[in-house]
Amino acid sequence: MPEAGVISSLRNSNAARAAARFVAVSAIALLVFALVLLAAGKDPLSAYAQTFRHTLASSYGFSELLVRMTPLLLTAVAVALPSRLGLINVGGEGQLYMGAFAASAAAFVLPNAPGWLLLPLVVLSGFLGGAIWAAIPGALRAAKLVNETVSTLLLNYVAPLIVGYFIFGPWRTTENSAYPESSTFPPGALLPTLFGTRIHAGLLIALAALAVYWFVMERTRWGIEMRAIGGNSEAAQRLGIAVPAWIVAALAIGGGFAGLAGMGEAMGIAGKLRQTLSPGYGFTGFLIAWLAGGRPVGILFMSFLFAIITAAGDTLQISQGLPYAVVNILLATILFVVLASRGGWGIGR
Amino acid sequence: MNRPLRFVVCGLMLLAGLAARPLDAQEPKLIIGAVYVGSVNDYGYNRSFHDALTQVAGDLQGIKLLEAENVPESGEAESVMEGLVQQGAKLVIATSFGYKDSARKVAKRHRDVAFEFAGDGDPESNFGVFFGQTQRAMYPMGVAAGKLTRTNKLGFVIGIPIGYSLGNVNAFQMGAASVNPKVQTIVVVTGGWADKAKEAAAANALLDQGCDVISMHVDSPATIIRTVEDRGAMSIGFQSIEARALAPKGWLTGLGFNWAPFFAETAKKVMAGKFRGEAVYQGLGQMVVVAPFGASVPADVQAAVTKSAEEVRKGFNPFTGPLKDNRGGLALPPGASVGVDQMGSMNWYVEGVVGKVR
Amino acid sequence: MITPLLLGLLAGAILSGTSLLYATLGETIVERSGIVNLGLEGLLLVGASVGFSVTAVSGSAWLGLVGAAVAGALVNLAFGWLVVTRKANQLASGLAMMFFGFGASALIGAPHVGAVIRGLPKWRPAWLADVSWVQTTTLFKYDLLTWLAVPVAGFVWWLLFRTRWGLGLRAVGENPNAAFASGRDPAVFQYEALCLGGVLGGLAGAHLSLSVTGTWAEYMTAGRGFIAIALVIFSKWDPRRVIVGTLLFGGAEALELQLQARGALISPFVLEMFPYLLTIAVLLVWGGSRRLAAPASLGRTFYGSS
Repeated sequence: MPEAGVISSLRNSNAARAAARFVAVSAIALLVFALVLLAAGKDPLSAYAQTFRHTLASSYGFSELLVRMTPLLLTAVAVALPSRLGLINVGGEGQLYMGAFAASAAAFVLPNAPGWLLLPLVVLSGFLGGAIWAAIPGALRAAKLVNETVSTLLLNYVAPLIVGYFIFGPWRTTENSAYPESSTFPPGALLPTLFGTRIHAGLLIALAALAVYWFVMERTRWGIEMRAIGGNSEAAQRLGIAVPAWIVAALAIGGGFAGLAGMGEAMGIAGKLRQTLSPGYGFTGFLIAWLAGGRPVGILFMSFLFAIITAAGDTLQISQGLPYAVVNILLATILFVVLASRGGWGIGR
Repeated sequence: MNRPLRFVVCGLMLLAGLAARPLDAQEPKLIIGAVYVGSVNDYGYNRSFHDALTQVAGDLQGIKLLEAENVPESGEAESVMEGLVQQGAKLVIATSFGYKDSARKVAKRHRDVAFEFAGDGDPESNFGVFFGQTQRAMYPMGVAAGKLTRTNKLGFVIGIPIGYSLGNVNAFQMGAASVNPKVQTIVVVTGGWADKAKEAAAANALLDQGCDVISMHVDSPATIIRTVEDRGAMSIGFQSIEARALAPKGWLTGLGFNWAPFFAETAKKVMAGKFRGEAVYQGLGQMVVVAPFGASVPADVQAAVTKSAEEVRKGFNPFTGPLKDNRGGLALPPGASVGVDQMGSMNWYVEGVVGKVR
Repeated sequence: MITPLLLGLLAGAILSGTSLLYATLGETIVERSGIVNLGLEGLLLVGASVGFSVTAVSGSAWLGLVGAAVAGALVNLAFGWLVVTRKANQLASGLAMMFFGFGASALIGAPHVGAVIRGLPKWRPAWLADVSWVQTTTLFKYDLLTWLAVPVAGFVWWLLFRTRWGLGLRAVGENPNAAFASGRDPAVFQYEALCLGGVLGGLAGAHLSLSVTGTWAEYMTAGRGFIAIALVIFSKWDPRRVIVGTLLFGGAEALELQLQARGALISPFVLEMFPYLLTIAVLLVWGGSRRLAAPASLGRTFYGSS
């Protein structure tokens, strides 16, 4: 482990490093995308101008960026927190869906509860849904039975199937031609939105989660214990730190954050439980956490970058006739460049 | 820090270039935006809309068409539709069923933009609903199947089990049973509008069960028709009548859509400022068309199908009680009937259908 | 009564399972060398789209297969460059390749969506063609890839467990340092494994577009790449068990559809969950020994700090 002096100087320049990474990655993105556009016969400058107008320069467009960021912040923290202990959580997708599921269950079980009771209950259920889903792999890992990369990955498949079962079956709506989705949630369970936009309270929850993550890791004894485990778990155990308990706790808390992302998408955006709540937020969160080196400020920047890129994809499909697939190529190329530069940076190797 | 620095400089130069660019201004009279759940080349549902809109854009003057393909039926759809409005669309066509919520939300935000949703529901001032009434038109399709099946087992592949799909199955079975009382229709659900591998497996499963005439309600009939043709069975198409090219031997007949007249009228209304959201359901002869018969269909069957189609065109409604459902109960009591606007809420299978609704 | 169901199940499992089998075999070889490829889904999509596009343009499905195999190898080699030469994080690199596969396949396939092709020819041995109960099913009427599926699995097993190359590869996957000390270059083995894995993955994708469906559509692999990753684990990284596992995982989908066709009422979601839960259960029960069954150096970050 690096010496104390190095640690403190690293910590002091975290924000600076995060900003530098953001700028570097953004610049790579701009350059690569320009090449892609040229190859597709489009004019990069007018494309960028249109993207700028419809995302950053338009108030609705900017609000949409925040909407896209919300689940990404949460799923990134879901990966970053366990990574401080050296644990790898690729189960964000599954934890997200279980969070949405649990929150929906709460809303359907107590539809007539007053808003001030129902909403916090729904949020808590969302957290618990994801937490329990991640605690299972945590327990398996703590008992040295199954590696958590494997088990979180496997549980990713099961969660959407559980959701599917309920929305094709017991929870299926009878309105809208019985399209397979749940009935709309009772109004008390819906997250409040910012007038006229789709920004919902989930954003506040996400920012709070990020703040809590930062605070716990940097300013509390728990954070120090977690990082000690991440550095050398055997030594940590000998020092009296309850490593198995921390393994379960870290994965559970991480999973809980991902569950909040699912709750947010269900209660804040969709207003009902659907099979299509997440276009891979769990995996995108993994990438964001990795690009950000697991640091909170970096996560903020990278989530924003991903939000702009995906928003640009939608805009350009309409305005330039560019297939959305190009966004995937862009993301892949950015990652490729980052990964290839001296093995990239990020959470462990 | 050399490499990243170089990138940063390039990036800044590009950004600087942005400011200098003026927009080019070209004013079409009407911008139409369309959202598709799949690819417009899908030989099926999405293509029918694309073809119709392209035709309208070509026929009428001053129309610009913006299209977004492969937009999932999720929150993403709302962003895309909003994006179309931001790009100046004054008429937005939401072609897939699962876009209903998203379309309504965007419509609420932009009361000056006309929306047409392919499905059901209550129209609003700027939100219209429309669909081709394929259900009744499936009755003559059933007649063809009922007459030509040798095993008395018909197969039907459904994508997503919504009321409209159930209605299609029911009419199909009723039409077949009207000429062949022993016939039954087996239903298999794939769970998605366009899961090709599952569609192939579903068709195979039906054929394994002994079905020899297959029809479907999925976005593109191509995969199912090819699979059925490969195994030497007969098929009845849906969504696109072009698909008959895929089954030279087994194609019997089929249904397709012709949206162009409706879109042309709607576009004209929007341009004249006279758009009002309405529910427009048209059937055989208008939005729904019957495909040419396959070479293997004998003349007497063709005559029977054509006669049945004519009856439907004149207003025959097969969904009239008394009708038994497939669980031994009464789906429709005597005197009751299901109208075109209630088709979306159908939630039963008629007697003779093998399948579970929920 | 049961026999038609079992026959239909077997037939369906073989049809859906062929592509899954090839994908899993490819991933098994790669993981035996110590590398996890989360981007397998992207690889399959590239194989499917390239196979279809080449066939649509050239008119020959055989050329399409070759194209898919080559494309698959190239994609995996690019992935290999990241994780072997540049020593990048395997999971992140895999996800990057997944995104690449999503985008590239969509762009490659876009001009050819809706094209009508002549897919891979299927044939049935003459002596079976006259058997009545066989005639009504799809059994034994397969294209080349399906006919070769089990032999290829056997070949991969032989390669891994009966050749010096396989021994070296497995040594690299267990302990690259020791392998290096004994004179083997881990990088070479890993690149070779990735190349072979890429070929198999490309073929797996091509089977979907050229044989099973005869079309191309974005994301048509519908998660098979990820299923294959789970299947490798379930099979304890052994090609022989992959055959059984493929029938199980492929069979779940077939079972769900065949049961529907018989009017039976088990929820398809419950059926589809079963293979994954079984995998977890199997991992649990054989927990200790199961971990030893995995190549010890699988994905250097795979085992975290333990």
